[in-house]
Parts: sequence; structure tokens; C-alpha cells
Amino acid sequence: MTEMLLDTSLPSATLTEPESVQTSSPATTKLATRGLNFHYRQAHALKDITLDIPTQQVTAIIGPSGCGKSTLLRVFNRIYAVYPGQVATGEVLLDGENVLDPAYPLQRLRARVGMVFQKPVPFPMTIFENVAWGIRHHEKLSKADMAVRVEQALRRAALWDEVKDKLGHSALGLSGGQQQRLCIARGVALHPEVLLLDEPTSALDPIATGRIEQLVDELKQDYTIVIVTHNMQQAARISDRTAFMYLGELIEYGATEQIFTQPDKRQTEDYISGRFG
Amino acid sequence: MPLNPALDPPATPPSSSAPHQRADARHDAWFRYLVRACALLVLAALVGAMLSTLWGGREVLFGDGLHFLTSSDWDPVNNIYGAWAPIYGTLVTSLIALLLAVPASFGIALFLTEIAPPWLRGPVSTAIELLASIPSIIYGMWGLFVFVPFMASIEPALSATLGRIPVVGALFDGPPLGLGLLTAGIVLSIMILPFISSVMREVFQTVPARLKESAYALGSTTWEVVWHIVLPYTRTAVIGGIFLGLGRALGETMAVTFVLGSSYDLTTSLLMPGTTISSSIANEFNEAVGLHRSALIALGFLLFVVTFIVLLIARLMLRRLALREGRS
Repeated sequence: MTEMLLDTSLPSATLTEPESVQTSSPATTKLATRGLNFHYRQAHALKDITLDIPTQQVTAIIGPSGCGKSTLLRVFNRIYAVYPGQVATGEVLLDGENVLDPAYPLQRLRARVGMVFQKPVPFPMTIFENVAWGIRHHEKLSKADMAVRVEQALRRAALWDEVKDKLGHSALGLSGGQQQRLCIARGVALHPEVLLLDEPTSALDPIATGRIEQLVDELKQDYTIVIVTHNMQQAARISDRTAFMYLGELIEYGATEQIFTQPDKRQTEDYISGRFG
Repeated sequence: MPLNPALDPPATPPSSSAPHQRADARHDAWFRYLVRACALLVLAALVGAMLSTLWGGREVLFGDGLHFLTSSDWDPVNNIYGAWAPIYGTLVTSLIALLLAVPASFGIALFLTEIAPPWLRGPVSTAIELLASIPSIIYGMWGLFVFVPFMASIEPALSATLGRIPVVGALFDGPPLGLGLLTAGIVLSIMILPFISSVMREVFQTVPARLKESAYALGSTTWEVVWHIVLPYTRTAVIGGIFLGLGRALGETMAVTFVLGSSYDLTTSLLMPGTTISSSIANEFNEAVGLHRSALIALGFLLFVVTFIVLLIARLMLRRLALREGRS
């Protein structure tokens, strides 16, 4: 099975290219992994993953629980490094630079690669502070500039109209869907290049889910989006490319339409037709 | 206190099991009475202790106007009693203890929950708990035999350096006795450290991992995550832990009595001997009769009052913080 992993049909041109390719054709690779392995204690959670994620598109990662899809996402911004004993080997290339290199500054990586988690996690602060807090670490802004920046972020996350009159209220008073959009606003406020969404709608009701999906569609004009989802309809609806993972391996990766209509691999077909997982 | 009928189980239509249900309802009612009585017992004990100290101290508390509260004369020979010196000593030693113990505890709890490798967490946590289980008489003895001579040897240096700074200098002025408010405060801080740090460690562990991860994901440093996320999230419990330590510091008797030097002279210098409410009582209770005895009991009452005021301040502080956060 392992020899199937290398999907040679994908462009891997950016491997050796410098940062000059950032804004060229849509097929440009933004984020890529090369022979990525991930170990947690004895568990081998990711096995030799190699894939290229194109810029300004939505890439969905699907697969049954425990297949390593969230783990893969957590490698992209090195959030796993918060915990001791988790080790990633191989390469993760952001615009061709290996971000797994210990010399790559963690704070800069996380400003460039934003993340939104499964459950909405507003900080115990006001709505305004939730957005401003992250910015403050990276930039010194005047009060007025900060207000503009926060408004922009909230507008970008389609939340401004609902919260503009209560920016000084606690974020904990918002509904689940609003909280999740606040988390997205918090992420985009840093002007990241990549947004990682880890099952962002699994804790939300269908209406709130619909709003987030719509938002993802709008955001891809500016950001490269990687979304992990349990929900295959969601992957089919919002993504341009889909990766299917199983037991820590990347089984198949391609255009979403092709994955869902005529997958190459038997396991992919079984999973998307609901025969396992 | 009669039971609120609305709290009783709703009346069900009569059926074959009606007597059984009535028995259930009765058992529930008895259970409620029982737990309510347990809760009332605490209140009764508290009010009883307050009233009895108030009654025991009535002669000095109400005998001579406000003299007892405002004066610092404590002269058992002439039967003149003023409580200001012990109150001052109690507050100052507790404050020193908090100033030293709170940052240290914060660092310990932070290290244990966020930074320490797993194999180190167990041993350090156990060490903290052992520190909490040492009886205060041991701290007192260690303080007197080991720590007081040490302080006596460094106090000249303190006077020569900190003592020269204007305003603050007055705090570090005086002969190097070793005994005194500063020494007592430091010993107290070691005693309350385990309480504060174990409470902080426990509550820091309750912060959801996803909350911290979201903060790290914005590129924050460990310090920012702890200061802006972990601490506000656990604020109520952290302040609770601090006041648990403060409560202990205010009432601590033996260790303080050993190293404080027992003097009723009010001084600004932290290097000078002083007294606290509980150490005055411990030093004098066995020779106190008449008005002297009444004065000591009144001191006990004042300790109640001081503790209440401190708790009240804590409550107000929490409320103000909550308002600032927008959680009104």
C-alpha cells in the first residue's frame, strides 16, 4: 500500500523555488509536506505523508476517526510542540521554507498559519479584546488603528453587524456559531496566509454551519484554507481538493470532484460510499 | 424553617403505589432537613464564636470608648490596653508573607503545569505537599535557631543598602536583631506557600487544553498565554487560594511568636520586633486575669473582624475585575 502514497500527478515545483512565486497561477503550491512522519509516544500517527496544498483554494482532509487528519493539521502550525513527547520528522514547506526546522521562528509561523479549532474557544475577555489580543503580540498599533483592524477582522468573519454594539461585552455570551466566527475573526486579524480549520462546524447547528461554510467560500479569495472534516457532504460542498487519509497514511489526494465521483483507490470509494468509517 | 411546598415532589394522581410515593417524599424531606442542618451548623458555630469573643471582650471594647482600637499602649501592670500594635503586626507580617509567597507560588504552579517535563511534576508536587504538612512549631523552632541568626547576619547589609533609599529606607532601619516583622513575614511566606501553590496548580490544570492551544495558535508566548488566558480563566479560584493562604497567615501563632520578638512598640522598621494578635494571646493567656483577659479575648474578636474585612476586599476585587472584563 505504501507505494501508492506518492501522488506523482501533483506539481512539486515549489520545492526548490524561492518566495517569488507567491501570487502567480492558482496551481502554485502554498504548503507542502515531504516524507512527513509523526510520532506520539509509541504511536506512529502519520506515515510518510507527501502532499502539496495549492494556494487560495480549499483543501479538505477526510477520513475515519483516528486516521491522523487532525494530527496532520496540527503539524502545519507546529501547535503539537506545546506538548512534550510529540515528534514530527520530514519536511513541511511553507512557500518552500521548512517550518519544522527548529530555527524557524514559531511565533512567525503561527502568524502566517492561523488555526480554528473544533469547539469554539473564546478567550475570557471582551469581544473586542478577543480579536485585539492576538494582534498585540505581533504589532504595536494605536488605539484607532486597532479599532479599525478589529472591525475589519470582524467584518471579514461576517460577525460585525451582530456584535458592533456590544464589543465591550464578554465573548462568552455569544452563541456557538457566533463564537466560532469570532475565532475565525481572531485568526484572520493577524493577516495569515493559511487558515487551518479543524472540524470547525462539528459543534454547531445546521444554520450556523451553513454560515461558516459560506464564509469559508468567501475567505478562499485571500487565504489558503485547509479544513479537516468528518462530514463528507461538507467536504464535497466547499473544497477544491480532497485528501483521504486512513490509519495515518495518505491514501488518495486529488480534485474534490474526482475523489467523490471516480476515486482511484478502493478504500476511498468504500469510505465515501459509507461502507466503513 | 418550614419546607417550601413548591420544592416538594409534584402531587401525582392516586394510584396503587401512592403510599410508596408518600414514603419517598417523606425520605426526601428528611434528607433535605438533614443537609440543611449541617449547613446551619457552620453558621451557628461561626456566630457563636463571634458572639462569645464579643461578650468576653466587652469590658475593653466598650469600657473606654474607642481607646482599645486606636491606642497602641499595652500595659498590663496599669491595666491599659490598646490593640493597635498587634493589629498592625498582624497585617504587616501577613502582607510581607503574601508579597513573597504569591509570586513564588505562581511560578511554581506555572512551572508544574506548563513547563516541567512529566517526570519532574510528581516529585515537586509531593515536596510542596510535604511542606504543607510540617507543623508550625517546627517552623517556629527552625525560624528561631537557624533563620533568626541568618537574618541577623544580613540585616546590616539591608540597612546599608535598602535603608538608604528615601521613604522605603525607613522600613529597613534599625539594629540587626534577627527577630522582627520581616523575619516573621518570611517564615510565614514559607508556611503559606504550599497552600497557595497547590491551589494554583490544581486550578491551572482545569484550563481546557483547547483554550491554551487557541492562544498558542495566535503566536503567543507561554507568558502571554499564562498571564492573559490561564490566569483570568482561573481568577476566582486563584484569589480563593491566595486568601486561603492569607487566612492562615493572619491566624498563624506559634511560628510567629518564636521569631517576632513580642514588642508592643509601633515602629515603621520591618527589622524591629513587633507582635501579632495571635502571638499576643499565646504569650499572655496564662497570666491574664480580669481586664487583661478581656483584652485578649477582644483581640480574638478583632481577628474575626480583620479576616472579614479581608474577605470583603477579595469579593469587591473580584467584582471589579469581572466588570472590567465585560461579564456584568
